[in-house]
Order: sequence, then C-alpha cells, then structure tokens
Amino acid sequence: MRPSSVKRKVTTPAPAHETDAERRHEHRFQVSESIARLVMRTTANNLPLSRDDRPYQWSTTTYCDTVAWSIFRAAEKGSAMQLRIREYHRTRPREVLNPGTAWIEFKDDEQDTSLKERFGVSMEVARSFLRGDATLPEDHGLAERASLLLRDGARPVAVTQYNRLAYNSLDSSLRITADHNLMYFALPWETRNDGDTEPSPLGSLLAMEPDVIVEMKWYGELPHWAVDLHAYLKESTREERPSKFIVAMRWLLGETDGTKKSKKK
Amino acid sequence: MKAIEEAVRSDAPATRVVVVEDDQASADVLQRRLQANGMVVSVAHDGRRGIELVEELLPDLVLLDVMLPDTDGYDVCLRIKSNTSTSPIPVIFLSARGEVVDKVRGLSCGAADYITKPFQAAELLARIDAVLGQARNPRVPRLGRPIERAPGERLVARVAIADPALREHVQQLLASRFDLADADETPDVVIVEGSAAVPADVAEDVAVIRVSAGRGGSDGTEMIPVDAQFPRIVDLLVRERSLDHDLQAAAEALIVLASAISSHDRPSAGHGERVASRAVQIGRALGLDESTRMTIRLGALLRDVGNARLPAAILTKSGELSPEERAMLERHPILGEEILSGFKRLSGLLPIVRHHHERLDGTGYPDALRAEQIPLEVRIVSVADRFEALLADRADRPAVSEAEAVRILQSAVARGELDAAVVAALATQVRAGGAR
Repeated sequence: MRPSSVKRKVTTPAPAHETDAERRHEHRFQVSESIARLVMRTTANNLPLSRDDRPYQWSTTTYCDTVAWSIFRAAEKGSAMQLRIREYHRTRPREVLNPGTAWIEFKDDEQDTSLKERFGVSMEVARSFLRGDATLPEDHGLAERASLLLRDGARPVAVTQYNRLAYNSLDSSLRITADHNLMYFALPWETRNDGDTEPSPLGSLLAMEPDVIVEMKWYGELPHWAVDLHAYLKESTREERPSKFIVAMRWLLGETDGTKKSKKK
Repeated sequence: MKAIEEAVRSDAPATRVVVVEDDQASADVLQRRLQANGMVVSVAHDGRRGIELVEELLPDLVLLDVMLPDTDGYDVCLRIKSNTSTSPIPVIFLSARGEVVDKVRGLSCGAADYITKPFQAAELLARIDAVLGQARNPRVPRLGRPIERAPGERLVARVAIADPALREHVQQLLASRFDLADADETPDVVIVEGSAAVPADVAEDVAVIRVSAGRGGSDGTEMIPVDAQFPRIVDLLVRERSLDHDLQAAAEALIVLASAISSHDRPSAGHGERVASRAVQIGRALGLDESTRMTIRLGALLRDVGNARLPAAILTKSGELSPEERAMLERHPILGEEILSGFKRLSGLLPIVRHHHERLDGTGYPDALRAEQIPLEVRIVSVADRFEALLADRADRPAVSEAEAVRILQSAVARGELDAAVVAALATQVRAGGAR
C-alpha cells in the first residue's frame, strides 16, 4: 500500500493567471444534437472559434468536495464555490492529474451569475496545492476560500470529461460553448507522496449524457443575434440545467438520475 | 444469443471481431469478407446490442459504424473505453462521415483508426492487421508452479535451446547451482531462447525463463542475459516463486483458522469468502492490479482474525454488549494486527486488518482515521463487508435485496462514512448483474 502523504513545501512559480473581471451571466441549456448543430452554426457566423480551445479537444475536470459534501450541499442551495482541476488532451485520458499543465480553478456560482479565477500550473504544483502545501496569489479572495476548503478536507471526488466546441468574442464579453460526449466518473482518490507523479486512474463511469450542453456566458448586454439565440435555446432546452458539478455529485451519491433532484433525502 | 453462441463455440485462436453496423447489407458483406480471412465475426445492428456483444465476447477488435439507430458510434466507443474489462479492445470506426471533425472526434474518443466508406477491402484488412499488431501485448513470462523440496536441495533445470553452442554454454553456467533434467524428469525451470516456443511436453505450471545472448529482448519480452550472473538470477527467481507458494500455503492455513473463528459469531457460513470475493470484484472494477487484488482478498479473509484472542462469550453473546464488552470487541483489529505482524510477508495485509472498521468521517475505530488516511484497499474491504452483511438475515433485521443494499450504502456515503467511488463501483456491478 502506498504510504501516507509526507509534507513538503513546494515553491510555486508565477502561474499563468486568468480571471473574470466581474461576475458574469451564465446560462446552460440541454439540447439535442440537431439543435446544437443549428445553434453552433449561428454562433460560428457571429463569433470566432476560441483561440485557446482546440475543437473537440477533451476537457477533463476533477471536482473536489469534503467528506461531509459541504460544497455540493451549498451548490444545491444555489451558492457555492467550486474547487476543481482542469486539464486538456487531444484524446480522452483514462486518468486524471496527468503530467503537463493543470488549471486550478475556483468558480463562485450564484443564481445565474458566476465568477471564475484560474491558475495554469505544473501538475506537481497542482498536487501540492491539493495537499494544502502550495499557495496561489490572491485576486478575488477565491484562492483563500479554496485553501479553507482544503483545510476542511476537500479532495478530488468526481470527474467530468467532454468534447468542447468554444466560440469567443474578440473582447471576451461573450462566450458560447457546446459540450458533447459528456461523461461523469467517480474518482477513487489516494493521497500521494511528494514526487509521486503517477496520474490517478478514473473510477466507475457514473453516467453519459446523450444530449449536448450549450452554455452562454456574457458580461453586460447581449448583442441582438445572441438575444434571439438565447430565446431559441430557452424554447428548445429539454431541462432546466444544473451545473456539471451538481449533476456529477448527484450521480456519485446516488441521489438522483443526475439532472433532477432526488425526492428522498 | 446466436452471435454469442457461434463465437463462443469456436475454440480456434482466430481473431474475433464484433461488427456494429445498422445496415444489414453492409454488415453481411463485411462479415463475409472478414470470415474469408479467417476471422470469427459477430454482428450487432444497434449500439446497445453492440456493447452487450463486446462485454460478453471480449473480442480482439470492434468495427464500429458512427450512425446507429439508437445512439451514435462515439457513445458506443466511449462506453467500451470506459469499462476496464473492454477498454483494451481496439476500435476502428467505419463511417460515411469523412469530415475532419468527424475523424478527430472519433479518434479522440479512443478509436485506433477511422476508415471512411466506401473503402477497399484490402485497405481495411491491412489496417485491421496494423491495429491488431499494435494491440497485442508481448507474452509475459509465466509464473512457476509451487516447488516442494527440502531447503538447500538443488533445483532441476531443463535447457530447451536449439542453438548447440548457446545450449552448452547455458548448461555449463547452470551446472554450478542446478541439476540438469533427464528426459523423463520433471524440471523446476525450463530455459528457452528469446521468444522461441516452450516445448509442448512442459507442464503449464513449470517456470519458464527466457534468455538472450545479448542484453535483453528486442520485442519487449522480459529476457535474462546469459552472463556470469545468470545462474544466480535463475536460482533467485525460482526460489522466490517457491517462497510465494509457501506464503500462499501459510495464508491459506490462517484463513482456515479465521473462518473457523468467524463461524462462531457469524450466523451465515461463508461470509468471509463472500466479502473477499466481492472486494476483489470491486478492486478489479477500479483497475487495481492482480497483486493488489490478492492483498485485498487475503486481507478480507483475515480481517477478523483478532477475534481469536477475544473471549468466546463476547463473540457469541446474543443480547446487547455492555460498554466494556463493546470496548473489548473493538480491540479485535489491533489484536489481529498483532497476530499477523509476526509474518513479515503478510505486512501488506496489516492495514486492512487494523483499519477495516474505520470510517471516512473519523467516527470509526481503532484509530479514528479520516478520509484518505484510510488506504483504498481498506475502503474497498469495508464496503464489501457492509454490503454482504446486508444481504444476510440477522437476528435484528431481515436480509435486503442487492439494489436496496446499494441504496443503504449510498446513504452511508452521503453521511460521510464510506468511500463514494468504491460504492459507485459496487453499484455499477449490481446494476450490470441485474440487467443480465
């Protein structure tokens, strides 16, 4: 068996840093493949492909929560800060926390707005951060809140993987994404020693979504074409859509079929 | 069923292919072409049936159409690649969709190749050969059979090397430590050159060691160079296997002892074996290697061996235990660890024996460990133990169904007692069992 974690301070190099300037609107829609194709065609006529997202690349997001599921419980009530690690790959990896760049993300969700901050770091730093050893610079105070969650026992518990098509306005005021092949996994987490860089294998496949998740995120006012598109999406959506984190956690805890809340508590 | 029966009936080591193609005519043409090239082909006409066939047959290859009536090929591919038992099977997409985004999407889902229709049969067969060639793992060296002989007795080696010069050289080197086998003598170890075939008369359980005149195998096969260290290395390898056998025998004896003890305090016979079996299944679903699964099995079987040091009156008491009796009972993990700590080679089991009553929220015993302070192997045994206990009738409650037991364990996950990923793996198994 692997020995338990040995503490060692990791010096954090200046990480790549991206942050929302202010809270931005975020609406999610669960639509069929054919609706998504129409939506993305319209989007492509108005927005350029995101320079940072390779079309159909795999996004792997590892979500953290505490033993008491405090992040999930808060998210169900409509306000929570997600702590997650994101990585990007050309083909779907069967492990998480693979060598390379990891994005440590903090996302503060409230009603239909969100505030996100993320740091691009080496996976060694990301692992160290999860152990509570490495610290990150402050901006919106999210990193400090994340550190408190880690001290409270937050650790990786669930994973989503999906193919993303992303379109971004040049001034980044509007972003529209379509996520295909959305998969939810459990993650059997094991604490690792410093220097142990082996990726962590995924656990059981909890669920797959046959539909496409379209997300619109924007600051201020939407342009006219996007207002129409938003209305079309609202008409066409199958379900009022909770965040991927909430869906993943509901599957993980067996509380629901994922998108709907469970009746039992 | 017909497809499965046909495929299973065939004992020949032919390449087994599952074709998932909704168009009957295309599937027939493809099936005939592949069969003409010596392959055993099973066909499914929709995605759901395709996944069933792949899980049942574990074929060498899957040929997968993208457009299917019930789902798309990407979904089928992702499901195949997300199941630990089917994920190594290579998948080739066959599709009329030839745009770059389609190919990128297919390959990013884990396919080994993407071929657009219409295709030439010769190209398809060539690509199949290439994909199968990459997928085949080099044969791993076989483990040896248990060796029963007195300590210090010389081992018997048979040198099955065709090259006379190399054979003589190897025999001379081995003579210092081994007796060379006569024609009718059963050897402890057989030495073969490179990837040459093992002689047909060598029993399956005899250790086989492959040698190379150089520094190792070029095709990835583990080989031992023939140099001055060669006899010592062979001797160590064979004796290590012998020790493993001795360890296994000692563990089996302990398991018999532990089972005898548990029969006093368990109303249902075979509970320990069922827990061990369930824990190994969960470990397999989580992709744990064979050695770890063996640790889990032995640990599960011996987890309550500490009960041997408790008064029988406590173990057999039918009423509620007093606080003192409860405290004594909760010492059994520590007592079990003490008993087994004398066996150095069983040290890997000790965390399971000591910690199998710990809970993730820190309310367990004896050390009140929290979350991942409890090793994954222990978390697996804890879940298997509670699950199997729920399936049995007890004095204070009747047995529940597997589905209900999973729901009860999920509630324990929500309360922070059990590992969510381990219970999720169990739930997946129960669902799959129920679906069959």
